[in-house]
Order: sequence, then C-alpha cells, then structure tokens
Amino acid sequence: MNSFIGKIKDAFQGNDDFFCKKQIICGESVFVIGLDSLVELDKTLGELKEYKVIEEIEQHGEELADIETAEASLLEGKLLLARTNKDLAISLVPAPVSLNRSIESSSNENVVLGSPISFNEDIKLNIGLVRKNMKSQHLKVKTYEMGKQYKKEIALLYNQEMVHSELLSKIQDQIAKFMNQAELECIQDAYKMLGLKKWSFVTQINTTEIPDEALRAIGKGRVVLFIDRLSLALILPGVLRDMIFLYNDHNYPYPLMLSVRLLRIMGILLALIIPGLYVALVAVNPEVLRIEIALSVAQSREGVPYPAIIEILIMLLILELILEASIRLPSSIGPTITMVGGIILGQAVVEAKLVSNLLIIILAAATIANSTIVGFQNSISIRIFKYLIVFLASLYGILGILVGLFIICTYLASIETFGIPYLYFNLNKGEKSSG
Amino acid sequence: MDKSWQIVVMYILTHLGLLFFLYPANIIESSSEAQWIPIVIGVILHFVIVLIYLKGLSYFKNKNIIDIYSSFGKLWTILLLIPTGLYLLMINIIMVRAYSEIINIIFLTKTPLWAVMLLILSISCYLSMQELSAIFKTGFLLSFLFLPLVLFVIAISFQNVDWRYVIPIWSSDFSFIKKQSYLNSYFAIGGGFLFLGFIQPVLSFRNTRILIGLAAIVPAYLLSVYVPVLTFGQATAETFIFPYVAAVDGINISWLMFDRITMFFLLCLITFIMLFIALVLWKTVRITKYYIPILSEKWAAIGLAFFIYCICLRIPNWSDAERLFQINTPLRFYVILFVPLSIFGLGLWKKRKEGVNG
Repeated sequence: MNSFIGKIKDAFQGNDDFFCKKQIICGESVFVIGLDSLVELDKTLGELKEYKVIEEIEQHGEELADIETAEASLLEGKLLLARTNKDLAISLVPAPVSLNRSIESSSNENVVLGSPISFNEDIKLNIGLVRKNMKSQHLKVKTYEMGKQYKKEIALLYNQEMVHSELLSKIQDQIAKFMNQAELECIQDAYKMLGLKKWSFVTQINTTEIPDEALRAIGKGRVVLFIDRLSLALILPGVLRDMIFLYNDHNYPYPLMLSVRLLRIMGILLALIIPGLYVALVAVNPEVLRIEIALSVAQSREGVPYPAIIEILIMLLILELILEASIRLPSSIGPTITMVGGIILGQAVVEAKLVSNLLIIILAAATIANSTIVGFQNSISIRIFKYLIVFLASLYGILGILVGLFIICTYLASIETFGIPYLYFNLNKGEKSSG
Repeated sequence: MDKSWQIVVMYILTHLGLLFFLYPANIIESSSEAQWIPIVIGVILHFVIVLIYLKGLSYFKNKNIIDIYSSFGKLWTILLLIPTGLYLLMINIIMVRAYSEIINIIFLTKTPLWAVMLLILSISCYLSMQELSAIFKTGFLLSFLFLPLVLFVIAISFQNVDWRYVIPIWSSDFSFIKKQSYLNSYFAIGGGFLFLGFIQPVLSFRNTRILIGLAAIVPAYLLSVYVPVLTFGQATAETFIFPYVAAVDGINISWLMFDRITMFFLLCLITFIMLFIALVLWKTVRITKYYIPILSEKWAAIGLAFFIYCICLRIPNWSDAERLFQINTPLRFYVILFVPLSIFGLGLWKKRKEGVNG
C-alpha cells in the first residue's frame, strides 16, 4: 500500500461510510476509494468493468496528487481510483446515491393558472429549470464557492442585456468580499453576505419557489441567487411590488388581472387598518360613527371588562399563536387546532363576555385580508406593521391610524437595496419610473 | 434624474394641506363679497412669483439656492439665506402649534396638546431625517392612499350649496388688501413653493410640468372659500374659525356608515401637513448645515425639532398662535418676494457676464 492511500485512510478515520477496497479492474489491481453514503459502489464497479484497458478509464478522470483535493473530491461524492504502484489517484464521477427529490409541485406557494413545478435542493437542477425556460444567450450564470468551513455552491443568474450594471457589480463585490469569511446556510446569512441591514422589517431579498417568478424577475433586470441545498430562488432586490404582483397574474385576461391585483392592495390596506380602526372607533373617536352603529357597537361591548386595546391585543395574540401552531403541527393534527381555535374565537370567548363579537368579525376580516398578500414573508411584515397602527390608534384615534400609515410609507420610502429603492415598480433598465 | 411628477404631487399635496384650514377664514374675514377677487389676486401673485423663481433657477443648472447665494458672496447669504432660515423656522413653529390646536379643537378634545405636538413633530422629524428622495417618495405613496378620499370629499362638499350666495359677483371695494387677515392668507400662498430651489441637484424637474401642478391647485383655492360661503352665506361663514370644516361637517351621506366624513378628510390633510412640516424642517436643516458644517444632518434635525417643540410649548393659546401669524407677516413678504426676485436677478447678471466673457 502506498503512502497516498495511507494518508487518505488517516483523514477519513472514524467514518464508517468510508471504503477503500482492492479490486481487479482490466486485469490490474487497484484501490477504489469513496463514501458509500454518496457512491453507489456495485453499479459503478459494473460500469468500470466494461472497459478494456485501465488507461481508457484514466482518460475520463482527473489526476489528483495532493491529499487536500483528494479529500475535497471524496466529499463531493466522487470515486477515487488508485493504482497500487503509483503515488496518485484518479477521481471519477460514479453512479451517485440519489439524494434529491424529483421535481415536485410547489408546496408553499399556490399557482392557480400556470405551471406549479417548484425548485428543489439541487442547485444544478434549479439552474437547469431556469435555463430550460429562458433559451437566451443573454442569460448568464456565475457560480461561486462560499463558506469558511463548509463549502457551499451559490449561483448568480441574470440577463446581461436587462440587468442594472450597478446592482450586479455591487452584488458581485459583496460576494467577493464575503467569500471565505463565514458560513452561508440560510437567508439571514445571505443578508450578511450581501451587506444588507439586519434590522429590516420588510424582506429585501424576495424569495420564490416557482421558476416562472424567478424567470420574470431575471427578465425584469433583477438578479436571482441560488444557494445549494436551499429550495428557493432569492430575488434581488426585493421591492414593494412583490407583495402585490405575481407573474402568473398575466395568465388571466387583462381586466381580471387588474381586479385581482386591486383586491390584493385592498387586502394589504384592510389588514393594516381594520384592527386599528376598531380600537380608534371604540375607544377614542366613537362620534365618527353613525349613532345607530355606535350604539350597536357599544351594546356588543357590554360587559367586557377591559379597554379596547387590551381586548384586541389578547385576541391578536391568540390569533398569531394559532397561525404559528398550524405551521408547526403535522398536517394530520392541523385541523384540530383550526377547530379548537375556531371554537375559542368564535363562540366561547364571546359568550364568556371576554371580548365583543364585533371584534371577532374584525379579526377574521383582518386575517383573511392578510392572507391575500403575495409571499408568506411579506404577509408577516404586514402583520407586524398592524401593531404599530393598533397602538397609535389607541392613543390618537383615527389620527393615529393615518399617522401609522404615514410612518409605514416613510419607512418603505427610506429603504434602498443596492441603490434601488424599495418602492420601484418598474425595474427595466433605463426607465426607472417609480411609484 | 427627472422627478417632475413626484415634485408636482408634493406641490399639490402640501398646498391642499395648507389651503383648507386657515385660508378660507382669512379670505372670508377680509372681504364681505365677491371673494374671488382677493383669491385671484393672490393666485396671480403666486403664479408670477413662482414663474420668476423657476426662470431664475433655470439660469443655474443643477444648483440649489444655498449654492447660488454662497457663490455670490457672504453678503447675499446674510441678506437672504438667514431670513429664509428664520422664516422657515417660524413657519414650522406656527404650523406645529396651529395644526395641533386644530386637531385638538376638531377631534381630539381629550388628548393633551403636548402629546399631539409631540406626535406631529417626531414623525415629521423622522421623515426629514431620511434622504430627500425618500421624502418625495413618501409623498407619492401618500397621494395614492389619501388623495382619492380627499377628492371624494371635495366633490361631495357641494351637497348643501345654495348658488344664490354667489351674488354679488363684482365689488369695487379693494380695502381687503390692507387687512391683516388678507395678509395672513398669504401663509397658504407663500412658503410652499420655496422647496423648488432646494431640491436640485438631487431631484431635477421640468418647469412645464411644475406649471401643471400650479394650475391643478387653482380650483382648490376657489373651492375652499366658496363652498362655505355658498353653504352658509357670507354672514354666517364669517363666524367660523374653520369655515370649510364646518361646511363639510354638515354633509350627510345616507349610505355611509360614518357620520363625520370630515374626520377622514381633515386627517388626510393633516398627513399632508406633516409632509410639509418635514419638508420645511429638511430645508431648515440644509441652511443650518451650511452655517455649521460639522453638525450631522440627523442631529441637526433632532435639535431643531426639539427647539421647535420647546417654543411651541411656550405658546399658551390660540390667540397667541394667531399673533405669530401677524409677527410673521413682514418676514413672509420679504422672503416670498425677494428670494425669487434675487435668484432671477442674479441669474440674469450671471448670464450677461457669461455673454460678455464668452
């Protein structure tokens, strides 16, 4: 046994999935080295034994002389072939153990019209999905290897003709700066990598798992980032229109598309305003309401022992808990939570005179409205903004609601990602119209 | 970058905010009949001044008025920049105090005044600490949210109108020009346009588009005065502090769940006012920064806002706030007349000098 094999064996000591077996291939005795968690050995050997001379196999592989590259290629899932008389190894691409899902329909984003297929964990497959749909020589793919300890492949995809050159160069600079600084595991790491603010209440990186949406973003001059083993396309920069517009809306006739989008805008506004409006009208400015309505509101609150702000905060808390719980639970138990939540919210609380039944209607409407927003991460932003308005409304009534909207507008207007404001609606190169 | 539409929207929003509260009372108080004459005189003056200002600014490509004055020497900055800064500071004090009082009178009777002033000032201060483009983008977004509601209320404010109150159409009595209340009405006319000189080179604009904004706002001047006059008649309208608010308060729409539609209308206008206060504060910060360059803009904004808040707390009641309008009058006319004229004059001078040299 030569020293090369000995070193590799040392390096992988303690790994039970490591194998180093002597085999006769093409009449020559060789060591085959690999990790059986990544390599399908029997199948690979069967293929190797079909060759006549060993030199023919060596032509397919890559010669490795130093131990570090040999280790890295083993971890990537390659097979090493070492002849007993030589002090080097050949790395070959073996038949891999299948560790990927096949392409499935998306589970977190629903598509009504259009293709429902979604990205998955394999970065090559994700790039392939984009390539397949965008047959253009302007589509560029740049890959980088990131990470301090755990290497991870990332890929930038953009349309060379459409992309903002400033945006692209800023992103590339950031990536070059970050290269081997820290690990890249999740979207928060991506924020760090791209030098974006940690304390941002809206998503500056929009995510999607639908290839159509990623394609559209590339076509509009944005940059798509894939991280290996993350089944999402990260679209840079995130803008306000991501909350309202979906590419798949274009599959409706034009007027229907407009009405659907208008509905989403109303959804955002209602989700923001209604809880605050309830607090303002009940606690601070009841005179705004018609006397009949004001009386029936007062009647519905009869017997409720605390102020409107406490009442709504309790119910909002329960509602947020239900939302979070229904994500956590396995889908077989999920309906139970819905049922229990429904009973608590719908009937018992009102009958126990802990909250008014008008509030239940308000909260139901707000939650439904909140669900119309595109992208789960965006709907959480709106859920948080809602509290600002509720608190201001409890202090300043209707003035508080409008001031709350004013603050939100200011906040959104102040956000810039790589020099592109959050409020840009049209990202086409050259025409930076805003709104 | 050409941002004309954002600027036009800002122009319209701030003027709408300024117009509907104090302006109608000032005009109605100053002339008892044919109010369109004082309005039109004001509007024409406004047009002329803004045109001169725009023309003057167009001689200096991509320069704001601070750059312009400082390039012509210390004397100009002392003569014009300091009064402008003082005027803007006073506008801010008056606006915060007066509009907090208005909020207090009309809808938040139980909330203490200091709390309302704190809210208005802190939020305007927050906005003015952002970049200039963010201020204009906020205006754009607000116009989407609130302008439809404002236009709706303006449209339905004709519900109780009696057209016979238009008569007499002509009056040869021009004594209103000398009245204090008429001079106060220039609060809504002057001051709103000064920002056009501050925003370059960050935002540039086309003069023709700004004129569209100017023209768009003209009906609002007439409506704000004539709706209360036509609803109540001159004699009654004169007795209100906020005649337009009173006129809108009388509207009854049977299909709406709200009794006081005015509330939403006025509060929308209040947000426009907050936008205006933020813009004025931003301008004041620019001037302060010119004189004290080491000061960071954020701290200057916070410092000025705190100063304004302290002064506002010292003004005990509405009549004192009104006195401030009077004290402010000479400075107001000095600034709104001489800033545009001086920019125009300096522009002409520069052009002639370049003509001789070139």
